[in-house]
Amino acid sequence: MIRFRGASVVYGGGVHALNDLNLDIDDGEFVVVVGLSGAGKSTLVRAINGLVPLTSGSLEVNGVNVPSLGTRQLRNLRAGIGMIFQGFNLVNRTSVLNNVLMGRLHRVPTWRTLVGWYPPVDREFAMRSLERVEIVDKAYVRASNLSGGQRQRVGIARALAQEPKIILADEPVASLDPPTSHVVMRYLQQINRELGITTIVNLHFLDLATAYADRIIGLRGGTLVFDGSGADADADVFENIYGRSLTADDTMAKAASGL
Amino acid sequence: MTTTTRAWPRRERQSWTWIACVVVVALACWSVLGLDARWGRLPSAPADLYTVGRLMVTNLTWNDLETCVEAMWDSIAIAWVGTLVAAVVAVPLAFVAAENLVPRWLAFGIRQILNVLRAIPEIILVMAFIPIFGLTPTAGILAIGIGSIGTLAKLCAESIEGVDAGPIEAADATGATRVQRLRWAVIPQSMPEIASFVLYRFEINIRVSTILGAVGAGGIGQVVDDALTTAVPRDWGLAGLALIIVVLATVVVDFISGAVRRRILAGPTGVTRVIDEPAIVAELMT
Amino acid sequence: MRATSGEPATATVNVRPTRPRLGWFGPAVTAGLVAFTVVTIWDWNYGTGFSIREIFSVIGQKNPVIEAIGETDFGQLVSPRSRKKFVETLRLAVLGTVSGSAVALPLALISTRIGAPNRAARIAARTISNVVRALPDIVWAMLFVAAVGSGALPGLLALFLFTIAVVTKLTADTLDGIDTGPVEAAKASGARHAQMLRAAQVPQILPAYASYVLYAFELNLRSSAVLGIVGAGGIGERLENFRQFQQWDRLWAIVVMFIVVVFVVDRLSTLLRRKLG
Repeated sequence: MIRFRGASVVYGGGVHALNDLNLDIDDGEFVVVVGLSGAGKSTLVRAINGLVPLTSGSLEVNGVNVPSLGTRQLRNLRAGIGMIFQGFNLVNRTSVLNNVLMGRLHRVPTWRTLVGWYPPVDREFAMRSLERVEIVDKAYVRASNLSGGQRQRVGIARALAQEPKIILADEPVASLDPPTSHVVMRYLQQINRELGITTIVNLHFLDLATAYADRIIGLRGGTLVFDGSGADADADVFENIYGRSLTADDTMAKAASGL
Repeated sequence: MTTTTRAWPRRERQSWTWIACVVVVALACWSVLGLDARWGRLPSAPADLYTVGRLMVTNLTWNDLETCVEAMWDSIAIAWVGTLVAAVVAVPLAFVAAENLVPRWLAFGIRQILNVLRAIPEIILVMAFIPIFGLTPTAGILAIGIGSIGTLAKLCAESIEGVDAGPIEAADATGATRVQRLRWAVIPQSMPEIASFVLYRFEINIRVSTILGAVGAGGIGQVVDDALTTAVPRDWGLAGLALIIVVLATVVVDFISGAVRRRILAGPTGVTRVIDEPAIVAELMT
Repeated sequence: MRATSGEPATATVNVRPTRPRLGWFGPAVTAGLVAFTVVTIWDWNYGTGFSIREIFSVIGQKNPVIEAIGETDFGQLVSPRSRKKFVETLRLAVLGTVSGSAVALPLALISTRIGAPNRAARIAARTISNVVRALPDIVWAMLFVAAVGSGALPGLLALFLFTIAVVTKLTADTLDGIDTGPVEAAKASGARHAQMLRAAQVPQILPAYASYVLYAFELNLRSSAVLGIVGAGGIGERLENFRQFQQWDRLWAIVVMFIVVVFVVDRLSTLLRRKLG
């Protein structure tokens, strides 16, 4: 259960990344956040696991008051929240398996993680996460040898390995081509439905948003301007969120065909 | 290597270039005019050098081969242990000198200390150490060790700072501790480069080790010094043999070390940043 | 398992792989390095007998050299002989760098892969450069002292040669690193054209060349401390003097001055190099 109350984030130059946000997200929801670049999507998502601290207001995640957390408690919080990045953020020089095992770092005694001697149960978990995204055959392959779509799947597996209650995805498909984007979105949807993990995804392609989201949140200039189901969101709604008329770049299908 | 200051714009640059040229020429003139050198011997210098070379080659005696090889091995051994000593101190130090890992003031402070350390030539260190440790390899090892810490730590710190920030953020997002983050996000990215820095510095330190010999620290440098400076008459054959050994050994070590370095950086497949980038090589030599 | 679209058939290959065998390279190199380390540290005929314990025990003892640090005779700062030698050191470094760099630039052009007059010249230039670099500058200084007698001249010649070797290699490597596309194409239409193109690329690498010259100056400055020890001029003469007469307090004064000068030059050089981009 994620609860924002009057949450604001103001960056150094007076930029209001989030403006007095009030938002409730229940367990098991699949939420997509849309908005222009700089509208606050990234800030919203990073606020949930404390990577970006709130300037004012409150944020409660699974009953925990996030702004009040100390370093150790913050780590505990983050261990229960998996994150997927636009740039995949894998360690290229090491194997897929080692990357996924990073998701188990919090649960394994530090000395064992330092020498890389993970207990069998954690290795098992990592393998099963890889199986779920259907890429376990590449477990010992160097991460740099994978394609973009494969790397993102490893990213998902790494998040899954944490056994998280929440998964955050910051523009997970922005660097991928359309077919691969659908593959990744389908995995996220599947994980949400089968495992009941609350999933919050930032997207800038609107057709993807309507295709996969149960609920769509629209941000404009850091303010919440839309909160409804995928069905309710049509072109007019999006134009309101964006504050301008839509172009071909806003939908993946049109953007892809225009190339 | 340079990130914060921009190069001057073109028009400004041209006038600065002229000024620089003038300054350089002026300095050169000042140097030439003031230098108290026996210029008279300059024209004959190439011929004299050739004569020396001929003397060395014609007087080569293979009896001295064992002495030379042993001395060369000593120099290499001193260089290797010295480099290791430096690495053991410099590599951890580099992590504390990296701006993306520690507060800026701390990194800056340590960097300045490193800069002072870099300014100390090894020869001076060894001059201080020989009276303390005697004419043992230890004097040379410590001189090389301390002399290399500054450069190694600086380059390793820059490598660490150049690491991709993405995996670091990902590690934070999983709830990893700082140490775990270091181990799994920072070190895998910079270790290959650090290893090649250490190996390259080893190659350079062999030359340094040779120089130290000239002050009595042992090794092949001592052999050459004895043969050319202290021996009366000069032992050309020994000097010549020693120099040949030095060149051979340098070539061999450079080759092996170079191959290992390239392999380390490239990994089992594909190539990444190659260390032979001239700017880095130049930096390593200081 | 859902079939995945747009990706090669992975559904059928989603099987756990066996742990791959460790490659031979890593373990071999590690074993080699460890063996080499043990052999060189161990206290035997071919080892150095390096021991940390021994170091600490020695340091604990009284020692005139270290004690002299506290009594550094800064009077050396105004001693005419020392100052003269210091200036000589600077002159040697400057002249050696300038003369060597001047020769190095055209030499680098000759030794680049493309745009060189002919292969023989290129290989000759590279080999000479490598041999010169293989011998440390102090060895060259010793050779020149034997050839032309002691004084500042042999030191200058040694620095001259060494600067050529270093700057040529660095500049040639940079030239090789530039996009060779247009030059390769020009080569097809005749070597002369390629040379001209190469010459046209010179302005492009001048900033890099200038930064190498600065590095060479730093190196030469440090070397020039050493040259005097073998009789090739510079402050090293005073150092050797004080060392032989065990006048440690004066020695440290020279050392401190020297370190300060090198440090200042290093900072200035870094600043200049940043401006060069």
